[in-house]
Amino acid sequence: MDKKVVLKLENVSKSFAKVESDEVTHALQDVNVTMESGEFVSLVGPSGCGKSTILRLVAGLITPTLGKVSVDGVEVEKPSPNRGVVFQKPTLFPWLTVEKNIAFSLDMQGKLKGNEDKVEHMIKMIGLENFKDDYPAQLSGGMAQRVSLVRTLINEPEILLLDEPLGALDAFTRMHMQDEILNIWSEKKQLALMVTHDVDEAIYMGTRVLVMDANPGRIIADIKIDESFPRDRSSASFVEYRNDILNKLHFAGKKNK
Amino acid sequence: MSENQNQPVQTVNAAQLGDLTRSELKQLETKEKTAMEKTLETVTLALPVVCGIVALLEYLLLPNYARNYDPFTYVYVLCAFIAAYIIYLAVGVIRRKAGNFATYEKVHYRAPLFAALFLFLAVYDYLTLKTGTLTQPFVPCMNFILNAFLKDYMMLIDCTINTLKLLFIGYTIGVSLGLVTGITCGYSKKARYWVDPVIKFLGPIPTSTWVPVTMVVAGSLFGGAVFIIALGSWFAVTVASMTGIGNVDKDFFEAAETLGASKRQMVFRVAIPHAMPSILQGCTQAMSSSCVALMIAEMLGVKSGLGWYMTWQSGWASYDKMFAALFVICFIFTIVTKCLERIKRHVLRWQNGGEK
Repeated sequence: MDKKVVLKLENVSKSFAKVESDEVTHALQDVNVTMESGEFVSLVGPSGCGKSTILRLVAGLITPTLGKVSVDGVEVEKPSPNRGVVFQKPTLFPWLTVEKNIAFSLDMQGKLKGNEDKVEHMIKMIGLENFKDDYPAQLSGGMAQRVSLVRTLINEPEILLLDEPLGALDAFTRMHMQDEILNIWSEKKQLALMVTHDVDEAIYMGTRVLVMDANPGRIIADIKIDESFPRDRSSASFVEYRNDILNKLHFAGKKNK
Repeated sequence: MSENQNQPVQTVNAAQLGDLTRSELKQLETKEKTAMEKTLETVTLALPVVCGIVALLEYLLLPNYARNYDPFTYVYVLCAFIAAYIIYLAVGVIRRKAGNFATYEKVHYRAPLFAALFLFLAVYDYLTLKTGTLTQPFVPCMNFILNAFLKDYMMLIDCTINTLKLLFIGYTIGVSLGLVTGITCGYSKKARYWVDPVIKFLGPIPTSTWVPVTMVVAGSLFGGAVFIIALGSWFAVTVASMTGIGNVDKDFFEAAETLGASKRQMVFRVAIPHAMPSILQGCTQAMSSSCVALMIAEMLGVKSGLGWYMTWQSGWASYDKMFAALFVICFIFTIVTKCLERIKRHVLRWQNGGEK
């Protein structure tokens, strides 16, 4: 990565009003965290702990109730291709072919002319050369998610936001794609922020794991994973990390009852 | 062993499967037909010709109940129909020999319908010309209708052109305005605030109700007819595109936003393509409502077109000409619907991209 970016969440709180009643849920309360390029940060925690909220705040899809989200000191106000998001659902545009889906972002920004080779490179990277003229309806779940990933990556985002990108895939495709994503990430070492509910995945992929808990949503632990890639899922240290995190979540869960 | 005998293409081995085309695969997987099925297939294919000849013989051999003029028009047309079917069949058989089964299968699929058509013609002729069960000249026999075509075709063409002109001007205006209002309202809450009451108020009123009003108010009959047709299609397209755009999944907008799409691009590159199925559904609906409005307008006021021709001719008791015009109307509407269907299939080809 030629440029280092620093992502900062300062005293961030986010509350949502319920649609039907006057009740307000506190998705995030007073979150402070700093991340920078080269990190692969996993956000893990039970549902309702606000991990997706953090991601959406960083993406600029929502704004914080209190506090400030900033990239290199500049406050995040709206979405930008510089902060690319891969959603849990592939959200490929069904009326566009695989190739056009991948080219969508460049096309929207008027940058497609002269960059056709980039599109081709992306298609090659995920090995879907034979499918580039197919429509998303013809793709399997794994293929669709790969297309969705490179559709975001084509912008070379400084921050890559992954919102449970592998959540809907079967176990084998999932493990395969974990390595694929890590490979892509290790090329540019951009700042990656991934939401997951799978502790193993969080440890396997992250250089740092933020453990979160609900009611109100907050970060309860910030654990650095000091191991080189590729990691061994059955190594003693891996198991130790896992037990540590599960313990934290488990105790936290009991305390609230 | 018996299974082996049933394999029609034994020359293909597993290694060659990669080069199969779709129809070859289908051929390979279907079992060879039994003698019984083969005979049935031949009979089915021959049936239209047999029924056509039955219709011919019925017309030529049975004594007439009423007087018949220029009796050979019907004979020529029947012969032309039979010949057309034979050519169609021949093309299918020749293509099948060349390995393309599609046409042949279509002929085979449609053959019973063609046969039924010939039988219908025979029965119709028997009931009208031969026995007078359906009273002449109110329900004229096919020969009379065909002769009416020949006699009056200049006028019919003229009326057809007028009808089409009216239909397309009204339809185009209605659909374009409908697209504009529908898309604006689908996207902007403010626009919906103002347009919604209008739609709720005007929507339930059937188009025909407007005919007397517009005939009085509009400066010209043509303008009034255009207005009625446009109003109906405007309504259908507006409602359809409004719901279509309203139903676009929020996720698509979010994805587009993070990919750098501007507000304008979100409308034209995300919302509209996503709403396309619904919009086209509205356009088809608009066409059928236009056709109804058109006929009502022509029968009640406009002094040209096929609808007017029908009322005019029935006023002169020329029922053969009236029926001729009716056939032209059926023909036109069938073609128009078919065209719309084609366009829809092409635009929405991503929808039936196949499931995996």
